[in-house]
Amino acid sequence: MFKYSLNPLPKTPEEIKTFLEEKLTNNLESLEIREMVAGAEEKTSFYDMWITCDKGAFIDLVDSLFMLDFPIFHVISGDDVGDFVLLNYHFSLFASAGRGKRVGVVVSVKVQKNDLTMQSLYDKIPGIEYSEREMHEMLGVSFEGLPDQSLVFLPENWDEKVHPWRRDDSGLSPKHIRELS
Amino acid sequence: MAIGEGKTYTIPIGPVHVGLKEPITAWLQVDGERIVDVRIRPGAIHRGIEYMARERNPIQVIYLAERICGICSFAHIISFVRAVEDAASIPVPPRAKYIRTILLELERIHSHILWAGVACYTFGYDSAFNLGMLLREKVMDVLEAMTGNRVNYGVGTIGGVRRDITPQVAGAIEEMVEYYKREFSYFYNAVTEDPIVKARMRNVGVLSEKDAVRYCAVGPTARASGLRVDLRWSSPYEAYEDLNVEPIVPQDYFGNAQGDVFDRFFVRVMEVYQSLEIIEQCMDGLPEGPIMHEPKPAKLLNLLKTADGVGQSSIEAPRGDDTHVIKLTQAQENVTWWKVRAPTYANAMSWPIMFKDQEIADAPLIINSIDPCISCMERMLIVNEKGSSTVATKEELIRICRDKTRRLMHR
Repeated sequence: MFKYSLNPLPKTPEEIKTFLEEKLTNNLESLEIREMVAGAEEKTSFYDMWITCDKGAFIDLVDSLFMLDFPIFHVISGDDVGDFVLLNYHFSLFASAGRGKRVGVVVSVKVQKNDLTMQSLYDKIPGIEYSEREMHEMLGVSFEGLPDQSLVFLPENWDEKVHPWRRDDSGLSPKHIRELS
Repeated sequence: MAIGEGKTYTIPIGPVHVGLKEPITAWLQVDGERIVDVRIRPGAIHRGIEYMARERNPIQVIYLAERICGICSFAHIISFVRAVEDAASIPVPPRAKYIRTILLELERIHSHILWAGVACYTFGYDSAFNLGMLLREKVMDVLEAMTGNRVNYGVGTIGGVRRDITPQVAGAIEEMVEYYKREFSYFYNAVTEDPIVKARMRNVGVLSEKDAVRYCAVGPTARASGLRVDLRWSSPYEAYEDLNVEPIVPQDYFGNAQGDVFDRFFVRVMEVYQSLEIIEQCMDGLPEGPIMHEPKPAKLLNLLKTADGVGQSSIEAPRGDDTHVIKLTQAQENVTWWKVRAPTYANAMSWPIMFKDQEIADAPLIINSIDPCISCMERMLIVNEKGSSTVATKEELIRICRDKTRRLMHR
């Protein structure tokens, strides 16, 4: 289904926006295009897209990105925001399509704490493994379909019920923190 | 049981190992001398640096970011401050953009020469290693003259840089460029024209173009596999918008990319020449004007407290794409959260593929070939399935790697 090559024919952010809005009709909660400038004369040098979508539409959105180009995966960032954990998936499209043609795509998804699960992208993008495992250990999100959900950065003897980036009771307690000064 | 009949042994390399610049663990599954599978376990040096940032303001986090890595420290702070500038909509004066670009390229030169020299040392080419280290000193001297430090320069800030280029430093940069144009070819020729070097690096640790895409490889590792990717070209930042930068890929020189250790070596060496050209372009076009948007830290902090949002930055560090993401919350002095994705985080995913069907003697070279940003080690432990173990010292491991070079020389 997926092509493991980079598309040399770029699309503009507006074309990407139109394409995604057609594919995902009412499932995009927001889509912002950020113009990035560089050089002495502050010329527009590339664009970033910031998308928020419902958890149920996430896989459809990623599949739609695949129709444009292989979405090169950078990282998942995230935070504990009260009732939910926010995950931001950072991708690039058209990274090989020419000077200034790369479009950064950030997809934000809210994962409610009463169901802290996400569909893994490992079968589509194997390079996502460390990031999904990191979000699992640091924020407690489980990824369905990720073959190895073991700790990746935390010590082998770490209590897996403790998630260091959570801001609720499952986060760090003072006994986990060593103050050096 | 004979070799090739299915019985395998596990060799753990690391977390502390001579072939690694920093701690990480690799369990090599071997059948005789052949590696059949690999499992990587990072985490030995995780310092919780992103968590620490939550109790610091963005200016304090600059100095945390600078300590993520001793080699590409400036790349990390530039990616960090760019993410903050994105979140807070803070402009950067043109002159500061050019100075940032010059420093990023000086850092790339010293990082690539260091890597190329260490690669030669790994397989026993000590004269090339020593020549590499000798050559590297010139750029280190320029960095020290420009910033006061050889590493962790302390000159980056949000909305600009903290040190200008003086006429004396400009002269030192010009002299350095001439020096490398004159002298670096000796290193390049000594390595690339040596048939033994080619035998040690060609067809070793191959990463195909398809796997480089699937595993999202970055930087010289991705380019060596034929991917025409370079953030300085595909999404120009700082002064790169005004400069002529193209991704360096082996197919433009050899007709095709083999994605092996030699191609990774070649890409980095050619990027040293490219960095010299970029520095020359920057010095020729260096704009006049201020170097900071807001020189007073207290006023800058007040400005940052008005920001509310998430910012991101991906820049082309020496090892590849270095991504920082930051969240600032209005009226809060400290960073809400911060995520760092260093290039090795991406490239380490490709290690198991590079190791497959390779010899143990090539393992240190393959590990180093992605230029891992993880410190040195002293020994490895060899364990067989009955649980008995022997310790291979640094000297023994180097001997295994160098013995292979000697065998090739005597063929």
